[in-house]
Amino acid sequence: MPVATSALAVGVVLAALAACTSSSAATAASALNVTVDRGACGASWQASGGAQTFDVHNRDIVTTEVQLVDPASGGVYAEVESLAPNTTRPMRVQLGHGDYAFRCYPEDADAVNGPTVRVTTDAPTGSAAVLPVSGIDLAGAVKSYQAYTTAALGTLAHEVATLDRAARSGNRSSAEAAWLPAHLAYNRLSAAYGTFGDFADAIDGLPDGLPGGVHDPDFSGFHRIEYGLWHGESMATVAKTADKLVSDVAGLRADFSTEQIDPNDLPLRAHEIMENTLQFQLTGGADQGSGTSLATALANVDGTQAVLNAIAPVMESRYTGWPTVGTWMTTLRTALAAARRPGGGWTPVADMPAAGRQRIDAAAGGLLEALAPIAAIGDVRRTQ
Amino acid sequence: MTDRRSFLRGALGAGVAGVAGAATGAGIAVAVTGTPAAAADVATSPTVTIPFHGVRQAGITTPLQRHASVLSLDVEVADRAGLEEMLRTLTDRARFLTRGGTPPDPGIAAPPTDSGVLGPVVVPDNLTITIGVGASLFDGRFGLAGKRPAELTAMPTFPDDHLDPDLTQGDLSLQVCAENRDTVGHAVRDIAKYLRGAFAVRWRVDGFESPPRPSGTPRNLLGFKDGTANLDKTDNALMNRQVWVESDAEQPWIAGGSYQVIRKIRMLIEFWDRIGITEQENLIGRRRDTGAPMDGNAEMDKPDFPADPVGAATPLTSHIRLANPRTTQTEASRILRRPYNFDNGMDAVGNLDMGLLFVAYQRSIARQFATIQKRLEGEPLVDYIQPVGGGYFLALPGVRDDKDFFGRTMLA
Repeated sequence: MPVATSALAVGVVLAALAACTSSSAATAASALNVTVDRGACGASWQASGGAQTFDVHNRDIVTTEVQLVDPASGGVYAEVESLAPNTTRPMRVQLGHGDYAFRCYPEDADAVNGPTVRVTTDAPTGSAAVLPVSGIDLAGAVKSYQAYTTAALGTLAHEVATLDRAARSGNRSSAEAAWLPAHLAYNRLSAAYGTFGDFADAIDGLPDGLPGGVHDPDFSGFHRIEYGLWHGESMATVAKTADKLVSDVAGLRADFSTEQIDPNDLPLRAHEIMENTLQFQLTGGADQGSGTSLATALANVDGTQAVLNAIAPVMESRYTGWPTVGTWMTTLRTALAAARRPGGGWTPVADMPAAGRQRIDAAAGGLLEALAPIAAIGDVRRTQ
Repeated sequence: MTDRRSFLRGALGAGVAGVAGAATGAGIAVAVTGTPAAAADVATSPTVTIPFHGVRQAGITTPLQRHASVLSLDVEVADRAGLEEMLRTLTDRARFLTRGGTPPDPGIAAPPTDSGVLGPVVVPDNLTITIGVGASLFDGRFGLAGKRPAELTAMPTFPDDHLDPDLTQGDLSLQVCAENRDTVGHAVRDIAKYLRGAFAVRWRVDGFESPPRPSGTPRNLLGFKDGTANLDKTDNALMNRQVWVESDAEQPWIAGGSYQVIRKIRMLIEFWDRIGITEQENLIGRRRDTGAPMDGNAEMDKPDFPADPVGAATPLTSHIRLANPRTTQTEASRILRRPYNFDNGMDAVGNLDMGLLFVAYQRSIARQFATIQKRLEGEPLVDYIQPVGGGYFLALPGVRDDKDFFGRTMLA
C-alpha cells in the first residue's frame, strides 16, 4: 500500500512536470525569432508579460552584440554578446508591462535600433533593466583610482626605504618591524592578478611556480625578505633583496605614472582583490614566516574599499545590492580585527580559534558573493 | 555589526529574486504524504522527483539513493531573524533543486545564478535534502534555549570512539542524496552559494551505496552485506513506532521530526583483510559470500538465537547478535539505518581511508541508538572499526507547502 501511494505521488509529480514541460513547450512554440543584421535589429514582435525566450539570429557577415533595452532609459534587460555570423542564440528574459526594443551593436558599425514594442498583458512585473556602463561613465572612477594609487605608491616607497635601511643596518628585529608596514602599504594598493604586470611578481610574488621554490633566484620582493628574516638568513642577504625591492618599487612608480588604465579593470578588481585574499591570505598560503596573513587581508579590504569608493558613483544607482557590500565589508573588518593582538602583532591564521576563523571565512565568502555582480554590471558596454 | 539579511540581499537577493520566484514557483502540484516517496525501484531516471513538501522530510524513509553528501554546518548569522532568513533561503533552494527546472537568467545584473553542472535545466534525479538541527543551535545565540528537546544533546563519546572534534557535531546537518554524484555536488554547491556568509562547514563526508554484489542487500567495505535486517521503510505503523516523533508533550514543535544519528566510522580494512574468513564471519555473525546468518542458508533466513544459547553457531559477541538480539525486549531499540560507504583517499601511513557513513533515524536516541551502542560496547569488531566523527541531530518536521519553511515550528 505505501508503495502504491508513493508511486502515485511520483506519478503526480511527473504529470505536473509534463504539464510544466508542455507549457514551456508552448512558450517555445511562441518563442520569438529575432533576425538581425547591420540594417535592422529585429522586426516588430508581440509578447505577453512573463518568461520569454527570443531566438536571436545574426544573418550578417559581422559579429554583433544584441541587447533588449528599455528605449526610454537605455537600460538593458538581457543581452547576447558576440553573436557570430550565421548563429542563433537564445535570449531569456522575464517581461513585464512596458516598452521594449532590441538594440544591435555590429562590429565596426553604428548601433541599430529595433522597433519599440509595448507589452501590456499577463505578468505586470518583469526583471529590472540595468543601465549599461560605458568607458566614459568610468572616466571619473579611473581618475579617482589613479589619484589614490599615486599617493599610495608614495607611501609604499617611503615604507620600503625604511625597511631597506633597517635591513642594511643588520638589525633583524628592526627589519622585521619595518617589514610589516611596508608589506601592508603594498597590499592596500588594490592590486590583483595582472594589475602591475611583472612588477607585481617582483615585489610581492610567491615561490609558487618557481622550480627552486623559496631558494629560486627569481623569488624576490616582500615574501623573499619575509622568508629570510623569519628563517634566520644572514642580514646581508636580506639587505640585498631589500635593495632590489626599493628599485622595483621605484620602477613601478615610474611605470604607473605613464600607464593607461583600462576602465574595465576597476569593476573587475572590486572582487578580484578579495578572491586573491581568500586564496592566498585566509588559507595562510602566502605566509613565509611572519604569520601576518590576516593583517594583509585587512590591508586588502582597504584596497577593495579604495576601488569601491572610485566606482561608487557608477554603481550606486545600478546595483541594488550595493548597500549589502558595505555591510559585508564591515563584518569582515570586524572579524579580521579579532586577529590583532592587544599588545601588538597578529595571530597567524593557523593559530586562530576555530570559531574566529569560521567567522572570517564566512564574512569573506559573503562579501565575495555581494561583490560579484559589480563586475557583471560594470563590464564596459557599447552605448552607441 | 552584521546585517541579518545581508547574505540574502547581496548578489543573489538583488534583482534575481523576483525572477527566481517566477521560475521556481510554477504551480507544480505537490503530493503531501505522510511517508515521502517510499517507493522502490524509481531510482534510475534523472527526471524522477521525490516530493519535497510533506508533514515529514524526504530522505528518511526514501529508498536509498546511490550517492550522498552529509555536511555539518555552524551557523554564522547574528541573531534569530538571521537564522529564520537562512532557513527560508535553504527551504527555497531545496524546493527548487528537488523539483528541478530552469534557473532564472539574471541578464547583465549578475553572474549566472546556476553552475550549469546539470545542464541548462536542473534535473531532480531523486534528490532529497534533509535538514537536522544540533544541540548547539539551542544555545544563547538565537533565543532557542527553551526549545531544545531534552533528548537532543551533543553526541557523547562512547568508550570505543576515537572522535576528532573537527569531525564532530555542528549546528545543522545537511543530508543531500541523489542517484548521481553530479546531482549531489550541484545541490551542495548551489546551497553553499545562496547561503554564503551565513554558515561555516564544520565537516563533510561523501558516501556511495554499492550495487548488489551479486544480489540482495548491498555490501559495506568490510565485504559483508549490510542492512539485511533493516526496518521495512514501507511499513507505516512501524515507521510511526520507531522513526517518527509523533508528538512531544514538552516540545510540541518537533512533531513530524526524527532523531538523526550520524557516525563516521573508519574501517581498518588493511588489518581486516589480514584476518581469516572464519574470524571475519564470527565477528559479524553472517556468512560473507551469501549474507546468510550463521545458522541459515540464505540472506533472508532469520537467525534463531534462542536455539543457540551459547553461541555455537552465532557467537554471543558477534555484531548482529549484539546489535539486534531479536528479543521482545530489544525490539523497541531498533533503528532505521540509512548508511553509505565512504572512500576518502589515504591516511598518514598510506592506508585506505575507507569506512561507513552511518546515518540512522529514530524516535528516541536514548531508547534506540544509545541502547544499541551500549550493547555493542567492547564488541570484538571494535579492533577493526573506529568511529571518528558524527553527531546527534533532530531532522526537522517537513516543509508542508510553498509558504512553509524548515524550522517554522521551532522559531514560532
